[in-house]
Amino acid sequence: MAVETMTQPGATDQADPYLSMGQELLALDRQRRNIQRLKVSGVWVALVIILAGGLLQLRIEPGYIIEHAGIVLAGVEWTILVSLVSITFATIIALFGALGRLSNNSIAQGISGFYISVIRGTPLLIQIYIIYLGLPQIGQAFGQLGIPLLSSLLTLSAFQSGVLALSINYGAYMTEIFRAGLQSIPHGQREAALAIGMTRGQMLRRVILPQAIRVIIPDIGNQFIAMQKDSALVSIMGLWEVTFRASRFARRDSKFMEMFILAAAIYWVLTIISSWLQEILERRMRHAYER
Amino acid sequence: MNGEPVVRVENLHLWFGMLHVIRNVSLEVAPQEVVVLIGRSGAGKSTLLRCLNFLEQPSSGSITIDGLRVDIPMGQQPDSRRVRDLRLKTGMVFQEFNLFPHMTALENVIEGLVTVKGMSRDEAIPIGEINLARVGLSDKRDEHPIRLSGGQKQRVAIARALAMEPKVMLFDEPTSALDPELIGEVLSVMKQLAYEGMTMIVVSHEMSFTREVADRVIYMDQGEFIEEGPPDKIFGEASDPRTRQFLERVF
Repeated sequence: MAVETMTQPGATDQADPYLSMGQELLALDRQRRNIQRLKVSGVWVALVIILAGGLLQLRIEPGYIIEHAGIVLAGVEWTILVSLVSITFATIIALFGALGRLSNNSIAQGISGFYISVIRGTPLLIQIYIIYLGLPQIGQAFGQLGIPLLSSLLTLSAFQSGVLALSINYGAYMTEIFRAGLQSIPHGQREAALAIGMTRGQMLRRVILPQAIRVIIPDIGNQFIAMQKDSALVSIMGLWEVTFRASRFARRDSKFMEMFILAAAIYWVLTIISSWLQEILERRMRHAYER
Repeated sequence: MNGEPVVRVENLHLWFGMLHVIRNVSLEVAPQEVVVLIGRSGAGKSTLLRCLNFLEQPSSGSITIDGLRVDIPMGQQPDSRRVRDLRLKTGMVFQEFNLFPHMTALENVIEGLVTVKGMSRDEAIPIGEINLARVGLSDKRDEHPIRLSGGQKQRVAIARALAMEPKVMLFDEPTSALDPELIGEVLSVMKQLAYEGMTMIVVSHEMSFTREVADRVIYMDQGEFIEEGPPDKIFGEASDPRTRQFLERVF
């Protein structure tokens, strides 16, 4: 980064007779980095070839993978949908969670602290079971008590359960991210806002949050990448996403390695794409306020 | 200089744990008066200034600004609405500027008008422009702080405070974070304000500025006022040995 800014026009002294020396050094440096990158990519390719070769030796059927690739790949839609909806809710939960944690109100502090402790202290899988299988049981009890509305409200579809579980779970972890982001804004900003007469709420909304969001957004990206993979757990409820499709065929035809390697590859590619998008986002956030 | 004082501080105390940082300070500042607080670091000058708009919560005492009195019963929180009203009567300029980096110069200046005073943007913009002009930065109205020099940032910060039409301006070492060549532009804005009749309380180490502009200089040490008087007297014939010692070392 620092090297590249030096090539900007006007940054170097045009009268310097050794100007070409700087350019040469820059070119050499770039060349060295490119070669390094090429070598690393070579190692990746070699590893993939070795793995693939090994698997083929062990009577893995590539034909079966190719044949079922389309139908498993179709589950990506669900994977992305579940992740996108969940990350949205998780972000909202995290915002309020962080505000609660940082507030002086003892009730808000208590609720958010309790929420984070319980959710981070229990496995996501158990949370999914409780929401998908446990809640309808309570719902039934309400139904027998003559409150059918509550009964149907507590009986969630696989998609709703998955989204609820992932949102609540990630919301708890992201609360800490939001809290750190809000606290990363220099204290002077707070003081300047208060000094011109803002309330705490106005200060948060107008001064702290707009700055904190630039710190937080790249982290939301990281959480989204992690969530795409955790969304595989939703398959236990029979939602037709990648993992569920893969495991269905795997069990039916006893093609476990074929199908799970395929699923793994799909998640991997999804992650690579998301990481790339996230990097762009992060770069844009870093150049804040320079336009 | 007559009439009701703009600022009246009575029996102010501040404790940080077991540290008695402000010790029973009382102060009256008349309309249009310029008071400069001097003293070594840790003497409580900035802390006292920050107590005036409750950025620091005093432990007990009372503060009255422009007729609005806020009492601090010992160890209790004062009414937050009154504190906010009091803040609206003060304008503060910080050592580190504390401009809002996500807003342009103009947006910084009108932020309080829009968010706090509830003006529309259209109403606020002309006021913002006038105040940017007062500090000589009309041409920087659409720049973000990152593009401004330290001196320019501080002048925008002054404009931001002025836009709220405060009754008293509080300056907390406004030039201490600046490169030497940028100090002059900030001081000249402050001088101009003083000549326009703004009531000001300034924490500063700028000797020539203080001589020229101050009506009263107060030497503080260990949270107390040691000596006060017109600058000629304090700088020329300070009666307290602690004041003399400080002035010899600093100036």
